[in-house]
Amino acid sequence: MNIIVAMKQVPDLQQVRIRNREPVIEGVPYTLGIIDKNALEAGIQLKEATGSNLIVVSAGNEEVEETIKEALAAGADEAYLVLDDKLDGMESSLTASLLAATIKKIEEVGLVIFGEGSGDNYSGQVGSRVAEILDLPQVGYVSKIELDGTTAKITRSLEDCEELLEVQLPMVVTVLGDINEPRIPSVSQILKAGRKPKEILELDDLDIEIPKDKKISTLSNLAPETDRKRVAVKSVSDLITALQAEGFVGR
Amino acid sequence: MQFTLTKEQALIQKMARDYAEQNIAPIAEQIEKENRVPDEILKGLAELDLFGMAMPEAYGGADAGYDSYVLAMEQIARVSCGPAMAISAHSLGLSAISNFGTEEQKQKYMPKSCKGEYITSFAFTEPGTGSDPKQITSTAVREGDHYIINGTKRFITNANYPGPLVVFVKDSVSGKPTAFIIDKFCEGYSISEPWEKLGWHGGVLCDVYMQNVKIPLENLLGELGNGYPVLQYGIAFGKIGMNSVALGTTLAAFEESVKYAKEKTHRGEPIAKFQAIQLKIADLAMKYEVSRWMAYRLGSLANKPKSPADFAKEAALSKVVIAENAMAAARIAMDIHGSYGLMADYKVARIYRDAIMGPQVEGVIDMQKLIVAGAILA
Repeated sequence: MNIIVAMKQVPDLQQVRIRNREPVIEGVPYTLGIIDKNALEAGIQLKEATGSNLIVVSAGNEEVEETIKEALAAGADEAYLVLDDKLDGMESSLTASLLAATIKKIEEVGLVIFGEGSGDNYSGQVGSRVAEILDLPQVGYVSKIELDGTTAKITRSLEDCEELLEVQLPMVVTVLGDINEPRIPSVSQILKAGRKPKEILELDDLDIEIPKDKKISTLSNLAPETDRKRVAVKSVSDLITALQAEGFVGR
Repeated sequence: MQFTLTKEQALIQKMARDYAEQNIAPIAEQIEKENRVPDEILKGLAELDLFGMAMPEAYGGADAGYDSYVLAMEQIARVSCGPAMAISAHSLGLSAISNFGTEEQKQKYMPKSCKGEYITSFAFTEPGTGSDPKQITSTAVREGDHYIINGTKRFITNANYPGPLVVFVKDSVSGKPTAFIIDKFCEGYSISEPWEKLGWHGGVLCDVYMQNVKIPLENLLGELGNGYPVLQYGIAFGKIGMNSVALGTTLAAFEESVKYAKEKTHRGEPIAKFQAIQLKIADLAMKYEVSRWMAYRLGSLANKPKSPADFAKEAALSKVVIAENAMAAARIAMDIHGSYGLMADYKVARIYRDAIMGPQVEGVIDMQKLIVAGAILA
């Protein structure tokens, strides 16, 4: 069985500076999305538990071929990559079409794992869109995955409860950032990553055209402004009462 | 001429930074107070291949090159010098075995050393003789099919861990310095309590006592009576690690200062807004840039040294600049922090004590300058 992990190349957020209320991306090296790394770790653990083959898929500019070494070093066995510089800044629907078309080219797919949202825009759409295109069941907010033959036992962490589900494979899951702690690859694993097999696909191979007009334009990347309540309290007990009234403690 | 990292090198740098931040930073003060690196940290660093990073794959190493080794070591030392010191001294002894060992010696010692099961030491300095090889008083006397080693070695890093000790003594045949390999904790080997040092806590230095230590003839490292090349080359290779430790200290001084200058306010403004502080931040950035390219270059040269003498000169030259820059950077960081820098709660106090170690260890600054001048005027 093949386990697929979809990963997105994003600018290394630790190195992004803000100038004039805009992120400065120029010159910032690429890495893989933070929750995507949790998805990868989940895939590695399942691979180790079941002896499956782990394939990482990604679409983006030509730099992805270098960036994906991070996933191959951490434990992915091979990579399927859609590379085209025109893919910079593509929107979720196009990403989902490209990834779904790529996954269709892989045989014996049992499980497709996404992070709950990407490291940059966090639209949280791509996993669900891919499941829809591939006509596969999908479970979101996943905090635990166990594979048992052709069935997956999934734990979903919701706001006030956990849901336990059994789902027939193949399926798509989107995982939460606290599902695991991604491992740090060793020097030897990093050096061997470049020698692992990579299937490079072009847009023509997938029969997908990039739409001329973007359906989405970004108006602002700023967090919404919130007014502080500026509540003054005279004692700890007043503070606790105020926090309880707001529902922050004692729920 | 390339001044960029490969993707693999960038990942190695990130690997070391992530490991140090996640696993060492939370216990950096514990290492400082106990003067000991916990076993699980040494095990973790070994699992990342840091104990054999630049060693050939055939002997259990990762074969990543000394330039990548510098990148990783810098990031470890940025967080805590103790673990970086342990690896640096280990790599010094290991490079001597790699460069001068017989095939049997390499097979016997290198695979376990690369995995961190052995932690290697390099023993040259003696009480009262300093760094002068002619003054060595430790002896090796041949008796039949073995040598008997006697003597005391001072300030030996990693003497407390099992593994090979590369030791310099005068052999009874030539009367000249000769290198041998001793298995630490064999019969006749003992150590002092660790020295209490000003900085680099966690890097354990002990005196080593050798009383009638019996070793087989095949433990001779290099040629009988010709230990000087092993010593010269070994100490030059050791500077790759020492440079990395000083570089990590400079980086820490730089980063802590930038962070503090943005957070600390005076009359309602971050002190980073004041030109007096800005000039100091610029000085820190310049010292770090100079040091890092010199350190990376020495690592790169070590991958294919032109000659032992040339490499010794380059190593000495870089050590002077990088160690003195670390000192200067720590002083600037202290000035930016003001009185807070003197307090144990602030990392800069530790950085200051760590920085002062570099110019004194493995050959003081003046000795390095004499090596450089000697090579130029030869």
